[in-house]
Order: sequence, then structure tokens, then C-alpha cells
Amino acid sequence: MNEFVRGGLYGGGIIVGIMSSLLFVLWAERKMAARMQSRIGPNIIDPTGFLQAMSDVLKLLQKEDIIPEKADRALFNLAPVFGAAAALAVAAVVPFSASIVGADLDVGVLYLLAVGAVSVLPVFAAGWGSNNKFALLGAMRAIAQSVSYEVPLVLAALVPVMLAGSMKVSDIVAWQASHHWLVVWPFFLGVPAFVLFMLAMLAESNRIPFDIPEAESELVAGITTEYSGMKFGLFYMTEYLHTVIASAVAASLFLGGFDGPGGPGIWWMVIKTFVLVVAIYWLRWSLLRFRSDQLMALCWRWLVPSGVVLVVATALWVVFAA
Amino acid sequence: MTWADFDPGFTLISLIVVVSAFFVVRAQNMIHAVLWLGLTLLGTAAFYARLNAPFLAGVQVLTYVGGIVTLMIFGVMVTRRHESLEAEAATVAPERGLIFASAIFVMLSVVMWRSAATIPSPAPVASSADLARVLLNEYLIAFEALSLLLLAAIVGAVVLARRRDLETSPQGPVVPQATEVQP
Repeated sequence: MNEFVRGGLYGGGIIVGIMSSLLFVLWAERKMAARMQSRIGPNIIDPTGFLQAMSDVLKLLQKEDIIPEKADRALFNLAPVFGAAAALAVAAVVPFSASIVGADLDVGVLYLLAVGAVSVLPVFAAGWGSNNKFALLGAMRAIAQSVSYEVPLVLAALVPVMLAGSMKVSDIVAWQASHHWLVVWPFFLGVPAFVLFMLAMLAESNRIPFDIPEAESELVAGITTEYSGMKFGLFYMTEYLHTVIASAVAASLFLGGFDGPGGPGIWWMVIKTFVLVVAIYWLRWSLLRFRSDQLMALCWRWLVPSGVVLVVATALWVVFAA
Repeated sequence: MTWADFDPGFTLISLIVVVSAFFVVRAQNMIHAVLWLGLTLLGTAAFYARLNAPFLAGVQVLTYVGGIVTLMIFGVMVTRRHESLEAEAATVAPERGLIFASAIFVMLSVVMWRSAATIPSPAPVASSADLARVLLNEYLIAFEALSLLLLAAIVGAVVLARRRDLETSPQGPVVPQATEVQP
């Protein structure tokens, strides 16, 4: 029972921590996007614009909750909740410091991949439950995309697993602390695997340049077309959760996690995660969206073959060089 | 079986699995049935995790819930028209179904009645490294045979898909002209 209490307390703490970090991430993204587009960004609520996110939440909470008459009510209402839960569930196995980890599973990496694979179901339920052409098209695209990009994601995640000889995320971090960060040495395996992992992770979580499930120029707002009020707010939040948690996972698997010069600690994890989040938003505001078929071609003709080559190269490296 | 044996976690998971399995069969809407099936498979994974087989649980979720349920949804969506998703819950031959179901029920009851009426203590936790060692040493032949079987299935699927291309186009096989993408 003690383990449950400990897990509950740590889990609660981690969830609160991640959720509150979203406020900062939202603010940083808005300001960054404004700079990149030569405008000022939010500055009405307070001079820095930091309270804008909170006032947005207040606004969304007051809005009318509209459910389309012919919607599949159960799926329509449950989808945003399960979506946010699936996004948060990934954080359970991420070690934020040597002791701050929800559940340090022996099969941690497998767990991340499994939860990532399940998280497409709420997206589909949202698209289907809305009973709207655009939402359904968005859901179809999301599923096709998720099934395809699952393959390079698994292949990329195999590289740190093979090098460290463990699927436990904390073991992978410890291995990097005692050798090198994976992107430093062996960099010819670590850097491509890292890039592959980030690309596949972005595609899995439907972010630009892979956000065809909610391409607003063709699908209105994709799966979120029929959502209003706080349910839309939940989808919006889920997107940010995905970005933050995917960055934390990539930081643990490839950038040494909570280890760093000057001793390990949670601050390294925060810094690395934030750097990756900024990189993702930089991409978001500078790149265009792929077309659906281009996305599939990119996955099956470039990412999957290079992932296979990478895994074979890692196996050879582990057997002969390390 | 006494109250000391009562296991709330096991009972909860069993309830979820049984109820969701019931709705898989009874749901009028195909999509609902598939989503209920996803819940059943998640419950099965929870059983594996409780029996100290975390690797099996992870693979169960990854392949069954993440892969197969997703593919089933995709299959339902591309093969059926949007409006005709309401399916008659199978009432083709209720008598035959009843006979088979009661036969299986009697069989299972006999087996359970004869077995020791205690919950077996969970097996020691095997790490995934141990599992890999056993799989690639003792069971190497079975492992490779399964890989071959899967490879054959993939090749077969490709052949079937290509043959349909040949049949449907008058000028022979259609070579998909995907746009070049430079990553």
C-alpha cells in the first residue's frame, strides 16, 4: 500500500507541475510567435501578457457548452477527457530527477510507446462522435498518420534501448551519465535517432508540420470543429501537454535526462525540456504543413528505411565496438 | 474461497473485462463495438500486469489496442458507408448459439471446480532481459518460425493488394506516383 501512496503523491505532484508549466509554455509560445511575425503579442491583461492564459481559461469556462444534436453524445463528451489523460499518462515513466518519477517501470520505453499508440483512439472518438464531415476526415487522417509513424517511432526508441541494454528509462539516463549523452557519443547513431524520434513524435501528436488532422485551411478545424468552451480548451491543452511531455521523453532518452555538468538535478530536465519545446515551436511557426500523401511518402520511403538501417548499425556497434 | 482471498483489483479488472466484452457483442454500432473491444483488451493487459508480466502487458497494449483496434476502426470506416453503421446484433441462429455457449460454460465450470480454489501466488518478476535471453536461446526456433510466418503474411498482403491494382486498371499495374519529398 505504501507504494500506492508514494506513487499517488509523486504522480499528483508531477501532474500539477506539468500543468502549471503549461502556463509558462503558452506565454512563451505566444510571445515567440509574435516576435517571429513582427507583432507584440498579448499585452492587454498585464504588460508582460503572462496572465493571458489564465484569463483565457476563465473565458472558456464561462462559454456555452454546445453538443450537436446528432452527435454521438458519449464519445463526444468522453473524447477530450481521455485525450488529456492519455497525454498525461506518458509522464508516469519519465524520471524528472533521480527520485522524482511516477513509476519507474522495467518496461518504461515499451509503456511510452504503448500509451502513445492508444492516444489516437480519443482523437478518433472525437472525430467520429462529432458527426461532422470535417471532423471525421480529420480523425481518419489522424489514424492513418498514427499507424504509419508508430513504426519509425519504435525504431528510433530502440537505439537508446539497445545501447543501454534496458527499457527502464532511468537506466537509460544512468547509462548516459556514465558514458556520454547519446547525441554526443556515438553521435552517428544518437543524432539521427534523436531527429527520427522527434519527427515521429511530432507526427504522432499531430503537430505542425504534421498537423494534417486539423488542417484549418481544408478541414475547418479538423477534429475540434464541433467543440466549444472548455472541451475545446481540453483539446488545446492536450496539444501542449503532448509537446511538453514528448520533449521530456526525448530529453531523457537522448539528451542525458536529469544528468548534466555540475551534477544531476531536476533543473537540467527543466532546461532540456524547455529547449526542445522552443525548438518545436520554432518549427511550428516557420514551416508549412505537409500534404497527406507527402506525409505518408516521407514516413514509408525515408523514415522507416533509415530507422531500419539505424537499428542494424546500432546492433553492429553494440556487438563489435562497445 | 474465503473473504481473505478477496482481491479488489482482480475483481475490478474482471468486471471491466466482462462488461466491455458483453458490449462488444451487443453494441448496435460497429464503431462502439470496436471501442469496447479496445477496453476489453486494455483490461486483459491489466491482468498481465497484475500477474507480474509487464512486458506482455506492454506488448498487448501496443499491438492489440494501438495496432489492431486502430486497424479495425480504419477497416470499418473505409468499407462501410457512413449511414449504414448500425448493425443488427447477430440474431441469426440463437438456438445454436445457446447450445455452444452452454457447452463452453459447463466445460469451464468443470475445469474451475476441479482446480484448486485459491488464487495462485504470482510468479516471480522476470525482467525483460531474462525474457529476451530465454526467447533467443531456448525458444529460438519457435521465435524464428513465428518471424517467418509474419513475413509470409506481410508478403501475402502486398501481393493481394497489388493484384487488385492489376485487375482494376486497364493498362496493367498502377504505379503510385507519390510526390518526392526531401526530408
